[in-house]
Amino acid sequence: MKMADLIDDNPNLLLMLQHFNIDFRVSDQTVSQLCTNYGISENLFISIANLYNSLGTKAQHPYTRDDLMQVIDFLKHSHHYYRSDKYPQISSYIRQLQENHSAKELKLLEKFFNEYFTEVMEHLDYEDNIAFPYFITLLKKSGDSGEQELYSSVEYGEHHTDIELKLKDLKHLLLKYVKIENDLDLRRRLFFALYELEFDLYIHSLIEETILIPAGVSIEKEQHA
Amino acid sequence: MRKPSLHIAILEPSRIICEGLQTVLYQSDLDCRIHRIETLEELTELLETVPVDILITNPLQFVNREKEVRKIRKQYPSLSVAGIDYGIIQKQSMLTDLSFTLYDSAEHIVNVLSKLDKQNRSAALQKNEDDNLTKREIEVLTGLVNGQMNKEIADSLNISIHTVVRHRKNITMKTGIRSQSGLTIYAISKKIVAIEDIEI
Repeated sequence: MKMADLIDDNPNLLLMLQHFNIDFRVSDQTVSQLCTNYGISENLFISIANLYNSLGTKAQHPYTRDDLMQVIDFLKHSHHYYRSDKYPQISSYIRQLQENHSAKELKLLEKFFNEYFTEVMEHLDYEDNIAFPYFITLLKKSGDSGEQELYSSVEYGEHHTDIELKLKDLKHLLLKYVKIENDLDLRRRLFFALYELEFDLYIHSLIEETILIPAGVSIEKEQHA
Repeated sequence: MRKPSLHIAILEPSRIICEGLQTVLYQSDLDCRIHRIETLEELTELLETVPVDILITNPLQFVNREKEVRKIRKQYPSLSVAGIDYGIIQKQSMLTDLSFTLYDSAEHIVNVLSKLDKQNRSAALQKNEDDNLTKREIEVLTGLVNGQMNKEIADSLNISIHTVVRHRKNITMKTGIRSQSGLTIYAISKKIVAIEDIEI
């Protein structure tokens, strides 16, 4: 299958390419050629593409340690997308909206968003500084280590916050409750940005929950066996 | 969105009257489905599976069964009842919303019924507009928005913490909003609390 045709079918795959650090000019390459060129296993690439295409989470083969290192890179790249692209974009739309309209709810909405934004940043920092380094050490270690870890994959899973839930709140407030007159262009841009973010966050947590955490847990088991 | 067809049940043992009404209704502009029933028991059964909007009834069917009828009406508040006025029972019974006689023109009967339908729909719309928060839920929400803890809300409303938690769950279910700051914005948009009362 040609990568360009897949993108035509589902443009969201561009986001995936970016997270894999693959250039958008995919020429006439097939998925297999693309993976070879970028040193990504086809198994991993297809599993994640299936998530973007809503095709479920079942992988054909178990992931190798190399795959998992790439998953971490992938997740780090998506953090970059949230941190320096999507959230600032949404933030500026909300700011603009607040400036255009006198409704006091919008001041509160901006405050709500800013607090939420801070929370998200804290969560991303936590993953970057604590969770990912832990996984990287885990993956690099050979199987014979008996050291006690202060941290575990399960703990990482439990640390998942309500990032997605607050985003839903924001969407519901704008769709159902807060009255804003006109300004449809700005509001549509805001909605699209929120939906894009929601979609990618959803995939992000699917990857963590169905790929990274189970793999981490099984490596831990191996080491403690 | 296309509006769903109107479900009308006719409770009238006389086949001639029943079929007459049915013909009038089917030939009118009302987009309706008609269910024929002969007893109150059949009505109860029907209500379990079909969202009946209007019941057309021979009021004699209600005689000595007022209690049961009230119970049904309480259980299905969206059901309206049109009585057929046979001239025997003069005053409009409290159990029907309106009545018509068999000598009324077909047009009049259809008008009466579509009026009932409209009333129903606007009542339902009104209800939807405040997302169906009950008085109690609004009280709990007000406490929440003012920064009260569950315990404080429970004390001031004289209910258990457990009940406060249940109300909070229902509020979230009805509004789709989970966080406290989100609920604050909801409460202001709905004018449940005044923005002046909130510290920004």
